[in-house]
Amino acid sequence: MKRRELFTGSAKSSDACCKPGVSRMASLIPNALFRTHEDKEVRFYDDLVKGRQVMVMMMYASCETFCPAATMRMVEIHKQTLASRMGKDLFMVNVSLKPEEDDPATLKAYAEMHGALLPGWTFLTGSRYDVDTLRYRFFSHDHIGIDMDVDQHAGLMKIVNDPVGRWFHADVFASTRTLLQHIQWSDTPKSLAERLNDNRKLQEQIDKEIEIYGYRKIA
Amino acid sequence: MDELKTGSERDDANTHEADEAQALKVDRRTVVKGAIITGAAAVITSKKTTVFAQSYPEFPPPAAGPAICEPRPTNSPPTTPFVDDLPIPAPAFPQLLFPFPTKNANTFAGEAARAPHQRWEQFLPQVFYESVAAPSLHRFHRDFSPTYVWAFNGRYPGQTILGHYGVPSIVRFRNNLPIDHPVPGINEITMHLHNGHTPSESDGFAGDFFGTGLWKDNHYPNVYAGVDQFGGIGDPREAMHTFWYHDHRAEFTAPNNYMGLNGQFILYDQKDPGHELPTPGSLRLPGYYGVTDIPLHLHAILFCPTANGRTEAYHTGATPGQVDKWIINGKIQPKLTVRRRKYRFRIVNTGTVKEWNVSLIGSDGSQKPITVVAVDGNLVQTPFVVNDRPLKIPVSSRYDFIVDFSQFAAGTSVYLKEAAAQFVGVATPDPAPGLAIENVAMRFDVVNREPWFPADTPAIPNQLIQMPPAIVPDETFQWAFTRDGDPVRFRINGQVFDHNRVDHVVLKGSSEEWVLANDVIAGNWTHPVHIHFEEGRIVSRSRTTRDANGVVVSVDNVPLLPEELGRRDVYNLPPQERLVIRMRFRDFVGRYLIHCHNMNHEDDFMMVRWDIVDSVEELTTKRREIDQRRIMAGLPPQYGEGKKGRLV
Repeated sequence: MKRRELFTGSAKSSDACCKPGVSRMASLIPNALFRTHEDKEVRFYDDLVKGRQVMVMMMYASCETFCPAATMRMVEIHKQTLASRMGKDLFMVNVSLKPEEDDPATLKAYAEMHGALLPGWTFLTGSRYDVDTLRYRFFSHDHIGIDMDVDQHAGLMKIVNDPVGRWFHADVFASTRTLLQHIQWSDTPKSLAERLNDNRKLQEQIDKEIEIYGYRKIA
Repeated sequence: MDELKTGSERDDANTHEADEAQALKVDRRTVVKGAIITGAAAVITSKKTTVFAQSYPEFPPPAAGPAICEPRPTNSPPTTPFVDDLPIPAPAFPQLLFPFPTKNANTFAGEAARAPHQRWEQFLPQVFYESVAAPSLHRFHRDFSPTYVWAFNGRYPGQTILGHYGVPSIVRFRNNLPIDHPVPGINEITMHLHNGHTPSESDGFAGDFFGTGLWKDNHYPNVYAGVDQFGGIGDPREAMHTFWYHDHRAEFTAPNNYMGLNGQFILYDQKDPGHELPTPGSLRLPGYYGVTDIPLHLHAILFCPTANGRTEAYHTGATPGQVDKWIINGKIQPKLTVRRRKYRFRIVNTGTVKEWNVSLIGSDGSQKPITVVAVDGNLVQTPFVVNDRPLKIPVSSRYDFIVDFSQFAAGTSVYLKEAAAQFVGVATPDPAPGLAIENVAMRFDVVNREPWFPADTPAIPNQLIQMPPAIVPDETFQWAFTRDGDPVRFRINGQVFDHNRVDHVVLKGSSEEWVLANDVIAGNWTHPVHIHFEEGRIVSRSRTTRDANGVVVSVDNVPLLPEELGRRDVYNLPPQERLVIRMRFRDFVGRYLIHCHNMNHEDDFMMVRWDIVDSVEELTTKRREIDQRRIMAGLPPQYGEGKKGRLV
């Protein structure tokens, strides 16, 4: 440890960071063939996940409760706050849980109905086998009763950041602040200098809250 | 150097000698530490026995991350039973910290943002430790190559911090985990001392994690609960002794603990002073750490076939439930030489999801008695013997039990049995009649006590402690653990965890009766419920039977087991059952958690933030906000008009 580091307390190797490494996720994410709502053939990993930060959600068009609610919620988030990132460094993939019912045209109609024909947003359908494989990979509970029931996985969201191997789940119905934080947690890590700066900002916020409320209000 | 190695490791000492030399060269502190521990160990070990095996890292830090093996292996590689000695996690060594700890977060030197330490001037820290989380290599078995782990100060499991009530301490947790980190863990940590009477900003709140390159001072006042009421360092009747510290990062508690970010923490006081000498007030339980007072970290891992010179732990991302090697203190099926006298074992289930059911089996195949003296770190009022059933240890529960090895003849062996079978893969005859090798977690080899070894302690007293007076609750509150809703999720009171949202508020100094309800049909999940900050007392347990339509058929009272009569912080909650517990909230304010300690459920958001506040005004405001939010979300309000015993 250098003397300067001794006093600043900063770690040695932390600045050598932030270059996306080789993905270790290729072996974990299925690379099956799917069909998009635009009726294009895509490979799940190669075309949609590789090198990207992707939100993955399960839905089906005839679903009446939480799928439309989740889609509407994400449309709202998309329009309000994520518009500048979507399609550039952040992507959304919705996979149909009932591929037999949902052909590309049905998915497109569903997307249109909810105003989800937005940049960076893809709806997918494929073979039952591929959808199930994907579903198990992303949302398996290792509980046969739950994993056999497709409804159990509707409306759930995973956020995958392929280059840095980050893998999160998020509650779509959480507050906007929380949901955005979850998406931000999966972002590619910043440099130490930037993170120290963020840390100081957070500290200022905590101090302010304590000044106003007498306690630390939120995280 | 040889003194610090276990017997089996001595065989391949040559191959690792260069590595060790390098490891020592890197860090002068390690040498000093090693030397001091060697000194300590030399006093109490014979030539053939090692007490503090692995008191320094075995290997230099790994250059490369772990290899991911895919598809999932059917089972781990085979291992020969009982070849490694049980390692004892080395005690942490106090040191000076630079920069010096401060009341407010020293963000300019890289400390993670936090609220100022509470009662800092009152409990000014006197002892300091540093724990650096970093990648390391650890050998789980002689037959294995080293495994990539995340460990504190290079040790797996982490060093044991030995503290004393009334001596406040700081543990500086520094995060040196790699930026480009492997699946499945995450390089952000927030360290929780389970279940310390710890102020909120040092309690490891799940959303307070910090990333690589940052550090955080956790201030442990090491006081009993009841400081406000009793003054000084609180009510000695609230003492608890066996803790463990572990990562509590939201969504990643299971993978980070699977990777090894945990260790034990012991607090001594007059009753339980960490030695066996007849000092005033001492219970004189077996108490020399690592000699007659042995920590046992229970863990379970699935290993990949050896490749690239490493035997990697299978990544947990998808399925931590498939583990098949039972690990104690970082070794698979270790052995421990014990003298014919009493020993104390501090057993902790470090998870991630497996529930352990352990029993002691003699070489004749019959179950032998163990005397439980503490549950979840709290000494029980009356020690009780378990000899006719396995001791159930849900994730994160701790039991301190005493085994009197003088009942066994020298030269015989005794076995710690786990009810579930692991995978061994090496044909081995049954060690005892009716005991398959797959069920043996570890072996105790009984020998006669040498003259230099501490003499046996007196009989275990019939009464260990005086319980604090019964808690009279100010009001009642219910926590319902379910798996339902749209979409179907693990929920508590109808909601999933949101680190920004508070779901219950209590007043500092008040007490409440909490009902923990798992109102689901039989055959569903058992939730080991953990409540941060203070110990609770179980009042009753009931089982509700429902028919197929969900109509209640009967409500039966379930008698409490002896281990449920004392104070606890992990409450086993099987399906159909309801627990009534009483809690007090004293001395500190801030954000705390209640969650299912099945780490997978916890990471699936089966967790709730609740706050302790110190003014009725704040309580009223926050409770009103909670009810408004619940009504907006279509859920029934919690503190509505007409609720009995309500404060607002």
